[in-house]
Amino acid sequence: MWQYVLRRMGEGIITLIALSFVVFGSVHLTGDPADYLMPLTEAHDQKIYEAQKKQMGLDRPFIVQYWDYINSAIFFDFGTSYVIQKPISELILKKLPATVHLALSGFFLAIIIGIPLGIMSAVKRDSIFDKLGKGFAVFGLAAPQFWVAIMLILFLGGKLQWFPTYGRGDIQGWWPTIEQIPQTLWHLALPSIVLALSVTAAIMRLARSAMLEILDSDYVKFAQVKGLSNRLVIWRHAAKNALIPVLTFGGITLAGLLNGSVIFEVVFAWPGVGLLLLDGVTQRDFPLTEAAILLSGFFYICTAVIIDITYGLVDPRVRAR
Amino acid sequence: MATIDFEPIKLSYTQRVLKWIKEYNPPWIPIIILSSLLFFGLFANFVTGDPMANDLKARQIAPFTDIHHILGTDMLGKDMTSRLIFGCRSVLLVTAPSIIVAIFIGTAIGLIAGYTGRITDTILMRITDATLGFPSILVAMLLVTFVGTGYIGVIIAVTATTWARFARMIRGEVLSVRERDFVTLAVILGVSPFMIMWRHLFPNVINTLMVMISLMIGQVVLLEASLSFLGLGMSPGEPAWGIMVAEGRQQLLTTWWVSLLPGILITLVVMAFNFFGDWLRDYLDPRMRRSR
Repeated sequence: MWQYVLRRMGEGIITLIALSFVVFGSVHLTGDPADYLMPLTEAHDQKIYEAQKKQMGLDRPFIVQYWDYINSAIFFDFGTSYVIQKPISELILKKLPATVHLALSGFFLAIIIGIPLGIMSAVKRDSIFDKLGKGFAVFGLAAPQFWVAIMLILFLGGKLQWFPTYGRGDIQGWWPTIEQIPQTLWHLALPSIVLALSVTAAIMRLARSAMLEILDSDYVKFAQVKGLSNRLVIWRHAAKNALIPVLTFGGITLAGLLNGSVIFEVVFAWPGVGLLLLDGVTQRDFPLTEAAILLSGFFYICTAVIIDITYGLVDPRVRAR
Repeated sequence: MATIDFEPIKLSYTQRVLKWIKEYNPPWIPIIILSSLLFFGLFANFVTGDPMANDLKARQIAPFTDIHHILGTDMLGKDMTSRLIFGCRSVLLVTAPSIIVAIFIGTAIGLIAGYTGRITDTILMRITDATLGFPSILVAMLLVTFVGTGYIGVIIAVTATTWARFARMIRGEVLSVRERDFVTLAVILGVSPFMIMWRHLFPNVINTLMVMISLMIGQVVLLEASLSFLGLGMSPGEPAWGIMVAEGRQQLLTTWWVSLLPGILITLVVMAFNFFGDWLRDYLDPRMRRSR
């Protein structure tokens, strides 16, 4: 077992190193930061250019620069943003609470709605309920998320004026004060609903197919033959096992949401990491994008490794591979 | 005893087509949607007027209120109908090249990884998994930072996130095909690895590839629309559906139709591709059929 855990973690670290190398390399292949930062009037002055390069440490060999970058990245130092002129780690930490709030509330809403709906439609297969669920899933997988979000803003926020349509209220940082709680929740409502809608369709379909497979298995039939009540069989015996693939998928999805659901943050002007990243991309702020991508890569690889190890703990066959 | 002659039933061409249709029941609505997408995309400039012409006197006309602008106009007085129709062309212009390049790269990597095995396989599949793990929108954003926005940027971004799915799928198929006797025979006869992949393995994975393509196009259309929406795709003002949704957002309460209509079209096209792909899977590759 330890061998398996170590191997899996080793693979994760190698992937992370490869990723950082590719990201760092592609930044340096495609653009010259020194050239980019030159004031336009002095763009052709070779001396100033050389000085700029030296000051940024760009005259050193590529591998040395990479090593330096990684060394400080480990301690959460990603350098300074070109555009905002502040340390990148500070910028990201400031935006993180908004992203985490949105991701967690949307995700739990999706889990609470998606899993029971999926299980119900598997149990009542081919009923009206199941067909409605299927229709919802087909629509949810085909409709562009940004469009659904805008349409909900139009009806719930604009025409009916039930919810605020942008921003997160007065809250700063992680925790709202007591007076801010209702306002925070009110601002969170519409973005979370939209975010949940996009995830619910997938979770529902997955829960349904996993549940169908398990309802067909011998031990569930045996439990039924034994005379256990339907409710007990469904929720105690079947649903428990059907949840394993759903939770794996859920873990990956949550990692994705935490990485900043750029689209939702744009639509709702939600001041999170995704919006920061989009600004970095559109303004070609290389250090900022670099850091954001590396961090999300780190998140991803960690999640993948943790899921794999959990699988290995549960299922000995995985370990043997 | 009289012999009974079993005359083979001769069917005319039309009869055979009808029989095929009855047997396999192709999905008509998706086929109609997709052929109109193709038709309007190819002949947009013959069917309708200039999508960029703005008539400032005819701004913000709601749909179905003016005979000259049946689907209304946007904030700058551009005709919605012609912009939506030219949007079909943008879909084709982005989807076709990026899918073709992705198929080429993905299939090559899948074949090589599946056939050679061992360390090559491990390395190639690690790269594939790393690409698959990331949300495609993030990879696309990273690439756009380097390549810049615009047409070429979108195509590179979409390709880079799509090839891995093809590679994974093709490799899986190759793993089973390469155990078959005719491949072993070819190896014994000294056929070169390239010829084995091209002549013996590739023809056997074409069906899977076709199914994959039709299921992936929907994803590609969505990704392109999202990038355009974020302002990372085609230049602002171009008649692309994602851009139109973003334009309508600026004055959502007054010109809601500018956002509503292109979104409906995106949803319809993606749904059509998904349904068509499901049908094609059942038709070409019954083993992949979803059990329920």
